[in-house]
Amino acid sequence: MAESVSLAFDQADMAARLDALSNADLDTLDFGVIGIDAQDTVQRYNATESRLAGLAPERVLTHPLFTVVAPCMNNFMVAQRFEDAAQSGEALDDTIDYVLTLRMRPAKVKLRLLAAPGAATRYVLVKRNV
Amino acid sequence: MEHELDIGAEYEALMQFLYMAPVGLVQSDLKGEVALVNPVCAQLLMPISPDGTLDNLFDAMRGVAPDLLNLVESFKPSQGLICDAMRIQVDAGVRGKVDPRVFSLSLVKLDEARLMAVLNDISQQVKREQLLKHNEAWLNAIISGITNYAIVSLDSHGCIDDWNESIGRVTGFTAEQVLGQPYSIFYPRGASTPDRVLDRLRDADLQGWSLDDGWRLKADGSRFWGTALIAPLTSPGDGSEGVAHVNGLALSGAYCLVIRDITEKREASEKLRQSTSCDHLTGIANRRTFFEAADLELERLRRAPRPLSLVMFDADHFKRINDTHGHPAGDAVLRHLAMLLTKTFRAVDVPARIGGEEFAVLLPSTGPEGALVVANRLREAVASSTVEVDGVKIQYTVSAGIAEFEEDMVGMDELIKRADTALYAAKAAGRNRVERWQKP
Repeated sequence: MAESVSLAFDQADMAARLDALSNADLDTLDFGVIGIDAQDTVQRYNATESRLAGLAPERVLTHPLFTVVAPCMNNFMVAQRFEDAAQSGEALDDTIDYVLTLRMRPAKVKLRLLAAPGAATRYVLVKRNV
Repeated sequence: MEHELDIGAEYEALMQFLYMAPVGLVQSDLKGEVALVNPVCAQLLMPISPDGTLDNLFDAMRGVAPDLLNLVESFKPSQGLICDAMRIQVDAGVRGKVDPRVFSLSLVKLDEARLMAVLNDISQQVKREQLLKHNEAWLNAIISGITNYAIVSLDSHGCIDDWNESIGRVTGFTAEQVLGQPYSIFYPRGASTPDRVLDRLRDADLQGWSLDDGWRLKADGSRFWGTALIAPLTSPGDGSEGVAHVNGLALSGAYCLVIRDITEKREASEKLRQSTSCDHLTGIANRRTFFEAADLELERLRRAPRPLSLVMFDADHFKRINDTHGHPAGDAVLRHLAMLLTKTFRAVDVPARIGGEEFAVLLPSTGPEGALVVANRLREAVASSTVEVDGVKIQYTVSAGIAEFEEDMVGMDELIKRADTALYAAKAAGRNRVERWQKP
């Protein structure tokens, strides 16, 4: 049941927990979830993120994250971190303060970047600062 | 309801348009407080923003452009362009490893409350520009260091689009005389045609260069023997028009023409050329050279259709001349005819001896009317001159047949056959005549 899902933004062992959730479960989380495959193509995109960004999932799913969906993350602070982790074969779990341009308005957010060696899906989690 | 749905979808499409726009866009107030900002702008600014926020454009760029607030405040008009593609050096890079990062910033004052900014990463462009300057310096050093080459920049139509000292040094022409002129200005009259000017450019496109040796013209009307090399100016991996500018000021055009004065080497190179491509007795093109030239002209004609005429000449009663005055007299007549052919036709035409007393002239970019005029001029020149052999004065005449190449022809043989038919008609009609081929 969707109501039973409760994950905190800073939950430990997050990637594996997200992998286990259905897309409907992801939609109930109060932070944005973007799941990308090894080619940076968006495979998962939850309702919270869709609402924040103002983009319907069908505009985003199967598109490359760093060019079509979120070019603002295509720098050494975000995209480079994923690349470095993939190259060194190490796990990535960093939380950074960032500014996204959701609906063209600068919004302070916390980004949590998750990647594990061998895992099919890597995640960008987005939580708006309040 | 349906209307509202459409607006919703349109809004979303516009939003994504701005998300994906590959250029940074910001709207702020005059103090730099950001109202709207797109993702590429955040991508560019986040790494350089001292406090890691994008609340204020001027604060975010303080580290690389501290003067922005001043710049905006000192702009008094109520609206207008405050700065246009101002270059901002973001970092110095690491020599040979990391390119320096450079942004370009344009600021537009919309009114007393709003500012629009366009931000772009132009690091690659700046890198290319520096490479260009480097190449340019090299080229300038080379161009000013050599003395017997003229290096000429040509546009895509073969017109001279730039001037440098090497042109003046080798040809004596001034910038005013050559700029905008086709490069055939360096060729003596009759040694090129507007079609041929373009042909050489196409040849260069296809095989990477086009080379020809021959007489070249100086501004004072004198001639020198020179090679002319044409090469297209393109860059690997990029065939766009803009890349034609790759080689900098001296060679900003689409092609590079290098003319080299080889008058001193002419004798040696001409001797070699003559031994393989010229008829021993008369010194004009031999049969092989004629067919090679015809082949090339047919290929050019297929690429860019234009008229092509062929004139066949035959010395009248040649057998009688031989029988009456002997073979040396016959040879003298053939040499005389060859000399008149070379003198009468243009340098771009190809007169050749293709049989015993049979001569052919190929006239590129010329229709049968034009060919008729020159053929008659030749006929009259022959009829009014005298060849003297061992004190004996010989007079002779020629007949000629003219045919024009037509699209449905298979090849050169058909054209020759028609010209031969016309030549036979001229003979049959009494000799010392020129006839055009007529449809039977």
